[in-house]
Amino acid sequence: MSSDPTPLLQASALTRMVDTTAVVDNVSLSLQRGDILGLLGLNGAGKSTTLKMLAGVLTPDAGQISIAGHSLLDDPMAAKQQIGFLPDQPPVYPDMSVAGFLKLSAQLRRVPSNNIEKQLHTIVERCELGSVTKKRIGNLSKGYQQRVGLAQALIHKPAVALLDEPSNGLDPQQMQSMRTLITEVAENSCVIFSTHLLSEVTAICNRIAVMHEGKLVHNQRSDENPEQLQSLFNQLVQKDSGNTVT
Amino acid sequence: MIGTIAKFESGTLLRSPQTWAICAVIAAIFGYLFLQSLEDFLKVQPSLALQDHPPGLTGYLSARFLATLAPLFSVLGPLFAMRSFSDEFRHQTMALWQSSPVSNTSLVLGKFFGVLIPLTLLAFLAALMPAAMGLIVNIDLATLLLAALGLLLVAASCAAIGVYFSSLTKQAMIAIVASLGVVTLLWLLGGASFTNPAMLALQQFSITSHLSGFFQGYLQSKDLLYFVLLTVLFLALTVIRLGSLRNSGNHNA
Repeated sequence: MSSDPTPLLQASALTRMVDTTAVVDNVSLSLQRGDILGLLGLNGAGKSTTLKMLAGVLTPDAGQISIAGHSLLDDPMAAKQQIGFLPDQPPVYPDMSVAGFLKLSAQLRRVPSNNIEKQLHTIVERCELGSVTKKRIGNLSKGYQQRVGLAQALIHKPAVALLDEPSNGLDPQQMQSMRTLITEVAENSCVIFSTHLLSEVTAICNRIAVMHEGKLVHNQRSDENPEQLQSLFNQLVQKDSGNTVT
Repeated sequence: MIGTIAKFESGTLLRSPQTWAICAVIAAIFGYLFLQSLEDFLKVQPSLALQDHPPGLTGYLSARFLATLAPLFSVLGPLFAMRSFSDEFRHQTMALWQSSPVSNTSLVLGKFFGVLIPLTLLAFLAALMPAAMGLIVNIDLATLLLAALGLLLVAASCAAIGVYFSSLTKQAMIAIVASLGVVTLLWLLGGASFTNPAMLALQQFSITSHLSGFFQGYLQSKDLLYFVLLTVLFLALTVIRLGSLRNSGNHNA
């Protein structure tokens, strides 16, 4: 944790309505450098919608978002330069090569042109994509496509990394590498990643938030009241026994 | 940023075999129509010589060859533009653009110019055929360039219509059908003979009434303005549509 008191991400009273239902209801979050927040919840809890609002993909019906001191609503260009976003479905182009796509991602995030090759090399190495850089993305396995999606979110060294179920499609070894990568990324930024696996958040997060029916029902440091978290999550799982949760 | 997006968009088009297949067919049509127009010119040349102000070869080819291509270019515009946003919705890649520091205006302009690149190359190819006659006879380059500009403006405005409709749906086929519906309407308005004043006013919105000057060797500012406004109108509608997507979040139309 940095001594800098300005949060890298500050979201207050975020609300998103679909018709008359609040799919995200009055959610507030504040993250400092070094924070890894695991956003836990069952399917339909509002995790993805929250992340999309934080990434500027969706406009909240109410609430404010500040990224590294820039308001996402009033100064979206400056704020978005500090955001790296991996949606639940990696936003990759099947007909592009991995290197070509990552270069495009860097250009879109306004990485200076003389720095693109260096950052491309770094992210390829960190995401273990070295063997596939010249391959078409459409020819890669789901796990590799997910890693390409992760690489595009991190290529510009964002202050805030928003990862929606980043372990989708990864095998256990790749999941371990992804966890290591997230921990490394959080050294200079903050990370939020959503999942419906309690074991995943307890493995790497220093903060855990639980969403249920659009509301934030738990938001604490991971070392505070682990029993309470476990009990709360079990209750949610029992309520929604149709979902498979580990 | 607009340049980066335009490069990406034209790259996507040029990587597609469909684009090359379309271009090959179009080039063959260009060649056939050009040779036919040239043959026609040679047939009517003696009778043209009797006129007070006979059209030269360039004037004849502009009016008979390049003008014939205008409807073709009005189809090519939407055809190249139909996937510009539809595919983003279908592949769920809009999040990449929406989470990047790229304004909706830059995104729309980038996509539009990206579509315009292959269209410009085709307009250049079309103009190159009459221009090649310059190797053996004198040609009126200004007339030729004006006709090429006419083709490009038709293609650009119809591409803008295509870009707009592609932002409404993830089905490229629906986008092309809707675009061609509007384009056809804009052509048909000029062909009908109306007596009603309201319909006569409506006729001013037709492509035909603003295009003929380009192929007859004179440029009127109102014609130029018409195509520019038509293009800007549909690009502005696309920007508004993308803005509304952030509010509605519905990419699944």
